[in-house]
Amino acid sequence: MAAPMNTVGKTPAERLPVYSTSFQKKTRSKLISIPGTRPSVQNGQLLVSTGVTSLDYLLGGGLAVGTVLLIEEDRYDSYSRMILKYFLAEGVVCRHELFVATAQDTPDDILQELPAPILDDIAVPKPVEHSRLTGELQESLDAMKIAWRYQNLPKVQSALASSSRFGHYYDVSKTMEVEIRQATKCHLFYLPDHVTPPSTAHRVESYSALLRSLQEVIHREGFDLAAPMFSQSKSRNILRVGLHSLGSVLWGDDLCCHDKPRHSHALTTFLYGLRALLRSSLSVAVVTIPSHLIQDRALMGSITRLCDNAIALESFKGSERETNPLYKDYHGLLYVRQVPHLNCLASQLPDHKDLAFKLKRKQFSIERLHLPPDLSETVSRVSRGDLAGVASACGSKNLDF
Amino acid sequence: MTVCSQTYGGSKRFKTSLPTTQDSCSYSGRDLLKSFIIAALNREEVVHVLCFDVSEEELRDRLKPLDTQRLHIHNAYSDPLGWTGHPAFTVQQFSLEDLTGLIKQTSQPKAALLVIDSLSWILRHMTPPTVCRTLQQLRKGGAVRAVIGLLHTDMHQRGTVGSVCHLATSLISVAPGVKGNEAVAKITKRSKSGKVLQDEEIFCITEDLTVTILSKPSHPEPKQNNTEEEQADPTANLTFNLRLSDSELEAKQKLALPFVFSKEKKTALLHPGPGTGRILYEPDANDDYDQEDPDDDLDV
Repeated sequence: MAAPMNTVGKTPAERLPVYSTSFQKKTRSKLISIPGTRPSVQNGQLLVSTGVTSLDYLLGGGLAVGTVLLIEEDRYDSYSRMILKYFLAEGVVCRHELFVATAQDTPDDILQELPAPILDDIAVPKPVEHSRLTGELQESLDAMKIAWRYQNLPKVQSALASSSRFGHYYDVSKTMEVEIRQATKCHLFYLPDHVTPPSTAHRVESYSALLRSLQEVIHREGFDLAAPMFSQSKSRNILRVGLHSLGSVLWGDDLCCHDKPRHSHALTTFLYGLRALLRSSLSVAVVTIPSHLIQDRALMGSITRLCDNAIALESFKGSERETNPLYKDYHGLLYVRQVPHLNCLASQLPDHKDLAFKLKRKQFSIERLHLPPDLSETVSRVSRGDLAGVASACGSKNLDF
Repeated sequence: MTVCSQTYGGSKRFKTSLPTTQDSCSYSGRDLLKSFIIAALNREEVVHVLCFDVSEEELRDRLKPLDTQRLHIHNAYSDPLGWTGHPAFTVQQFSLEDLTGLIKQTSQPKAALLVIDSLSWILRHMTPPTVCRTLQQLRKGGAVRAVIGLLHTDMHQRGTVGSVCHLATSLISVAPGVKGNEAVAKITKRSKSGKVLQDEEIFCITEDLTVTILSKPSHPEPKQNNTEEEQADPTANLTFNLRLSDSELEAKQKLALPFVFSKEKKTALLHPGPGTGRILYEPDANDDYDQEDPDDDLDV
């Protein structure tokens, strides 16, 4: 049965050429059509891309608007910062507005390091380009003499990607040009400018200052869903909130220093308020937390529960896993700690639990970790005696394979 | 002096960095700190030392009588908490304004190097967030070019040590080595672009506080590498010949396989062009099947 392709309700900018399913919900465009978003095929939530297409696939198609993504930082904060930069760069390319809050480096430092987008419309990087000369083409064809029909296929199907193109690709070796970045509106929050450090702090003031500033920006710029600004003249936009290294010492919180922190509820209260703020507005937040410094695991568990999506990164740099031959192709492991269930009972869990990531120049790829086939002579085989032992335990005679 | 130039590798770019030395009670890092001070003085830099752990005399003990005009030791050992009423330097003075004032008093044109002996002492009397905030402000401000701190790891909780080291651009952890006067240093350097370099070296410090690198430590070889021997050649020791001579190899390569296609046909099959195999379909009246209406397919 051919399903009718109903693209009436969508603007031309959102007509994507290839879908993972060709199913289109027949709606009367009550959904707000904002550039850079699309409705989810599972539950109709409005999704934005995180900037990393494999991460979008893991989170069920993208980040739902109004939710929080928690990234537990790796030890030297290199890859979590990279994902934050991808998120902000995606906001620049989709023409959303940005809100960046930091305590260590200035927000301008992060904005200057955003990766440059690859703006030509190739959906998936092909292994052999069409435009190669014939000399090189012959070389590539000679790669496989007999099974040449298979030589363009990857050896193991390990990349996770849906075939529809929702996000963009970025070139990490170049930074985004200043003109592209300046076209977006950025709201910056740098903690030392806002909070004068008191000598004895009974409460952690930094989080409330941040929450107040974010609330003020949302209300002023009209991201509030309840605001009576539904007039047709002003089009709606998404606010992307990036909070770098919350909970670290420079935010004034001793969560990372002491085993029993004095203000253990400051961060959790902030996250609760943040999520309430986001649910009632058209914004999406990415928060990074140095969880390797937090000693209280119960607290880390409650922080994870308070965010909707949660992933953890573990980089191999500096650990003993770096020399492990199993991990030689990858830069680290990725754990999905939590997926949200928004307005539904069950959530879509990723079907592969062992994931590893690799930062390539044009892609941050997250792949499932698979063991290579053990082809050596010394692989241990179960001897006949063991098999017979097992079989006799089951009560049957010699099983001859 | 190779160790020193490695850790100062970041500072040569004239950005304020924060090398931190970590030690424990099995090996004291103070000698290494003193060798850093001597190296800096030899490079004609101004050095300010905040001396909490040991007395000034003990710190000056093995430092050669160099040009002491550039070395300023602030005695925070005798009265750090201000009990006597006229203290030299108290721990409360460890803040951005006071330290900047102290350094600017010497009125040198170049930015100074601040050595803190030790950060552990300060962390016992001030909260870690305050200390880290001050270190971060010193880093961002222009008065100090670099800050070197000594931290005793066994005196603090793991989270505190982790938080302070998280701020540092270079981290040197010293531990006693195998032989008597040797020590092992693990060096971690973080660059601005996010790259992390790690190194491990064995060094020893001589009487006049020069550091000599001995060698890289040799780890015990992992067992997996040793068992990867040469695969036995299966074509040896046979009664018939399985090997190919060179001319035979060439002839084999040139042999045309039966169902082989020419290069053009292969490329045409591998990279299908735009015009091949597209399905053009226009939905007709039969496809207008409305799931809601059960009577839609009746011919009434």
